[in-house]
Amino acid sequence: METIIQVENLMRVYDSTIGIIKRKKIKVNALNGISFEVKRGEIFGLLGPNGAGKTTTIKILTTLLAPTSGNAKVLGYKAFGDEKKLRPRINFIFGGERSLYWRLSGRDNLLYFADLYKVDKETRKKRIPELLQLVGLTDRADEKVESYSKGMKQRLQIARGLINDPEVIFLDEPTIGLDPVGARDLRKMITMLSDLGKTIMLTTHYMYEADELCDRIAIIDNGNIVALDTPQNLKKLAKGLAVLELKILGIDKMKVDEIKAVPGIATVTIKQEDQVQILQIQCEDPSFMTQKVMDILSENEVIGVNIREATLEDIYLKLVGGKL
Amino acid sequence: MIEILRVIYSSSLLQMRQSFARATFRFVIVIQPIIFAFMTYMMYRGSGRENYLAYVVLGTGILSLWSAITFSSAGDIERERFMGTLEIITATPSNFQLIIFGKVIGNTILGLMSMVITFVFVAIAYQVQLTIEHPVIFISSLLVSLLSFMGISMLMATFFTLSRNARALMNVLEYPVFILCGVLFPIDILPLWTRPLSYILSPTWAVKILRESVLGIENTNLFMINVLILLAITGIYFIIASISFRKIDKQTRIKATLGVH
Repeated sequence: METIIQVENLMRVYDSTIGIIKRKKIKVNALNGISFEVKRGEIFGLLGPNGAGKTTTIKILTTLLAPTSGNAKVLGYKAFGDEKKLRPRINFIFGGERSLYWRLSGRDNLLYFADLYKVDKETRKKRIPELLQLVGLTDRADEKVESYSKGMKQRLQIARGLINDPEVIFLDEPTIGLDPVGARDLRKMITMLSDLGKTIMLTTHYMYEADELCDRIAIIDNGNIVALDTPQNLKKLAKGLAVLELKILGIDKMKVDEIKAVPGIATVTIKQEDQVQILQIQCEDPSFMTQKVMDILSENEVIGVNIREATLEDIYLKLVGGKL
Repeated sequence: MIEILRVIYSSSLLQMRQSFARATFRFVIVIQPIIFAFMTYMMYRGSGRENYLAYVVLGTGILSLWSAITFSSAGDIERERFMGTLEIITATPSNFQLIIFGKVIGNTILGLMSMVITFVFVAIAYQVQLTIEHPVIFISSLLVSLLSFMGISMLMATFFTLSRNARALMNVLEYPVFILCGVLFPIDILPLWTRPLSYILSPTWAVKILRESVLGIENTNLFMINVLILLAITGIYFIIASISFRKIDKQTRIKATLGVH
């Protein structure tokens, strides 16, 4: 199958400063030489915690950012160098409510971008109503974007991203901030775009979203790809692992470090839910480990213990070190 | 060609709609010229000059035009950056320079509206009939002046695209130009060291030719020289802007200044 996106040893370093009076220049490595390929028609997911390098990768591929070194090609064109040839054939959608002209109507936004993407009059006349229909905004198309809900703005962004009928679509955390129904609708739309033959690359930090949508997933952390496979194969990494889950009131870092040091424990992560902390311990023999952990937590108030099989999310947590 | 014109046309239309939707900009376009006109009228009333109302109208008109252009061209890049649209428009197949040119045209049209408001206000409020000595030359001078202001605007837009700290610069630019370019007072009364600054700013020459075409041209040769200087400076502005635009496409992507993340 034809390779559409080709990334080789891609690096990006940002210059930044620290301090207010004595300013010191520092370099921040966002990408440390990542490599991957995406085939035609694939939905490829970049999954990782905040600051992992997902958006940087997307921005380089969409010609918005220059790589520090390495190669990034889309449709055979260099993302930095051949942008004139590349830009008409790709488009991108960023999550959140920005990237639209709020004081214009939805239709006027689409008309403006149709002009910028040099869509001819005839095509535009046909395409804009079709896109509005596709994203379910026909009835509200002439209202100002500022009156739209978050979900509607996201849907309008999808329409904007399709204005030039791109071959490759990049989506950066497209469902961020959406309610469950809005997020589900958006995922349906992404699947539909894939059915139309578009190559899609998306970033997310929602494991289930990547699992549901993607043909392949690259898990990225600290600018490195730590795993790259199909969701099915990634799930196999969970084989043999189980998760011991404890609900605790007030656990300190020393206790967590003590648990981490117990031989046989793969990872320890903590989630805060209201006033309760949920300690997730990945290990091979949770029944045996329960007693050991309870001994360490003898002075803490443990209000619930649960043992379950590891899921894809646990694999993700294991790979990115519990930084979800 | 049609595609290029469409990009310019739709960018200027978008600019006018976006700007006019903002209360601050409406103030700059509609209310501020009236305040300027009132203030300059009070200042000039006792000056003993003949035809002092022409000074009031011209001075205020240029002040308003300049305010509209600088405020908008500078602020808009910053606003687009925060709205997240700056990245989107730079990544389209359209030339970024043309998009900005369209926006500058939009601002200039709004600035002209401001000038008209000043004319109307002075004419109605002070019950005077304004006479323009050389109407055709005045219109030609106005067109050249507008072109020049657009050149400055384009030049500034490149700075604002490259730098994320340009907002401060925007506020600094408005007021000194009024003084340095002799919009309300002759630059002869300023210290000598400020003169080179006045001479490289095209509004200085624009004010001269506009004033003469309203009040009467005393020396045709001198007037023509002023027109040529204005055209030359404007040309230089456009050349520097064009070179800068070619560079910023790469520079913004290397420096990562298009977005705020």
